[in-house]
Amino acid sequence: MQISIKNLYKNYQLNGLEVPAIRGIDLTIKKGEFSAIAGPSGSGKTTLLNIIGGLDRPTAGEIRVGNDDLNKLNQKELSDLRLHRIGFIFQAYNLIPVLTALENVEYVLLLQGVLKEERTTRSTRILEEVGLGEYINRFPKELSGGQQQRVAVARAIVSEPEIILADEPTANLDQKTGALLLDLMHDLNHKKNITFLFSTHDQMVMEKARRLVYLTDGTSNSDTFRGHGHFKDNKIKKKSKKKSN
Amino acid sequence: MKNREIVLKLAWRNVWRNKRRTILTLLTIIVGCSVILFQNAVAKGGHDRMIEDAAATNTGHIQIHEKGYWDNRTIDYAFQPENKLINALKNDERISGYTLRVHAEGLLSFKNSTAGTMIQGVDPVTEKSVSNLHSKILKGGRYLLPGDRNSIIMGMTLAKNIGANVGDTISMISQGFDGSIAAERLTVVGLFNAGNQEYDQGMIIMPISQAEETFSMMGYIHSIALRLRSSSDTGVVRGNIKKHIDNKIIEVLGWEELMPEMVQFIVMDDVNAYIFDFILFMIVAFGILNTIHMSIFERMREFGIMLSIGTAPRQVMGMVLCESLIITILGIIGGLGLGYAVCYYFYVNPLDFSGYANEMAVLSINMLVVPADASMLNGIVTAMVTLILCLLFSVFPARKAAKLNPIDAIRHL
Repeated sequence: MQISIKNLYKNYQLNGLEVPAIRGIDLTIKKGEFSAIAGPSGSGKTTLLNIIGGLDRPTAGEIRVGNDDLNKLNQKELSDLRLHRIGFIFQAYNLIPVLTALENVEYVLLLQGVLKEERTTRSTRILEEVGLGEYINRFPKELSGGQQQRVAVARAIVSEPEIILADEPTANLDQKTGALLLDLMHDLNHKKNITFLFSTHDQMVMEKARRLVYLTDGTSNSDTFRGHGHFKDNKIKKKSKKKSN
Repeated sequence: MKNREIVLKLAWRNVWRNKRRTILTLLTIIVGCSVILFQNAVAKGGHDRMIEDAAATNTGHIQIHEKGYWDNRTIDYAFQPENKLINALKNDERISGYTLRVHAEGLLSFKNSTAGTMIQGVDPVTEKSVSNLHSKILKGGRYLLPGDRNSIIMGMTLAKNIGANVGDTISMISQGFDGSIAAERLTVVGLFNAGNQEYDQGMIIMPISQAEETFSMMGYIHSIALRLRSSSDTGVVRGNIKKHIDNKIIEVLGWEELMPEMVQFIVMDDVNAYIFDFILFMIVAFGILNTIHMSIFERMREFGIMLSIGTAPRQVMGMVLCESLIITILGIIGGLGLGYAVCYYFYVNPLDFSGYANEMAVLSINMLVVPADASMLNGIVTAMVTLILCLLFSVFPARKAAKLNPIDAIRHL
């Protein structure tokens, strides 16, 4: 399964004017990638992520997630696509405030119709994996920013989606917490072969990504691949078990 | 519907997120519902009491006359009740009493004063099962007794107007059923305070045996007045009586026709109450609208997230409607609880307006003691209208939440 984007355009209407946000992007994201889209504000990073996630529709061009042409899906089918095949992590305040960490993670499984027992087992396991085993019954307001983002990561991966789209996930975190979160995601990518696609401003994210797509003015002006070996696995494990701030 | 549970759980927790707002909204509904319930209960209690008082004083719930009597009210419209009819009245369990009457109009004269009067001939025994006038005799006088002949009781205002008192003998002149002149000397044995201006100012009551003779009735009477155990049986009993009479000759009238001015008063009073109810219902509904609207506005980003991760719009709408439903139902339960409690108190301790008797008399209102009679129907209607209105007023904000564009909603902070 891969995501392929061909000749993608997106214009916005602003006060009656057509404002181009994406101007002809071609991009293919393969299974297991750990990639980042970077670029200055207004370069179209978030718009691109939204289109891949089926939250927004392109003005022109083709976008396929696996075998599905997103242009051909209706709203309900897009909603189902997001529920079953795509995980989202946003900048902050990702969680439903009235649900506990466990319930937030379970929520997605519940929407998918997974039975109660399996829901609880899977969600608890995932929360333990992201280092929040002790906090599963806490409400978001009782967790730190870093812990909240970990719950968001857990929620994104619990349904085993084909890709996780993370829109500046570290933007509201301090350097250290951000690094821990990134290590966690990298670890998950490595061990479970989950595809991650970030949009980011954060230098650290750009450095740790194995592929960096740089956008300016809605077009991609560089696409750099890097090898493995950037992370030392042992170190990551230790860190991910520690409480983040 | 495996998601019902989570929708309910989310809704319940969301309701209590902003406790103060929820409690204020609940109070609006509770106070609104209980006031509506109470005011309708007082209206019903008042109206029932009015009907009962009026029926009990003299009119009864049903009257039987010769056709045309009620429109013309002259001595000429008299009839002889058949045994079949009397037996039917005797055998109907719903009738608590009936009495035969002779009616006439005449002129009273005492010393230098004269006054027009309505004369009613009654059987002193059976009359007590229909009218409670016997309990309204002023001190120093008495009600009619079996065997009385020329004795009368009269309205206290009438007595005052002509200067008569208990023990005085007054002259009465009228026309008999056969066209002859009817004149009699009558002794006042008692004065009554019926609490009804019409009676107090103009009525005298004499034994029917004397009236038969004075007005040469020859066995004819003008009306049979019936008292029922429950005024709500009026229609049924009336229908039943009609089976035992010749409907071309005899008319059977219920209290609505006998006292149309009271029906009009009740209708008018009800219209006022409905306007008041409407205003209260609107306040309650707008309270809910405001609460749901505010809570949605505050949670835009949250809805955006929920929609992005695959929550169906109808689930979002269901959740918001559920929130409104929870608040509304809690409010209704509280409102009915409080309302019925207040009504019960004022049912046991009726509102007492007797201090304002004179002011009320000017308005021809005779109800002085009003119990709050909260019926089951009153509660059900109040609850249903509140529920439907609140749900209707929540649909708009709930749809708004469901139709949010996730991207815009997430940007909203």
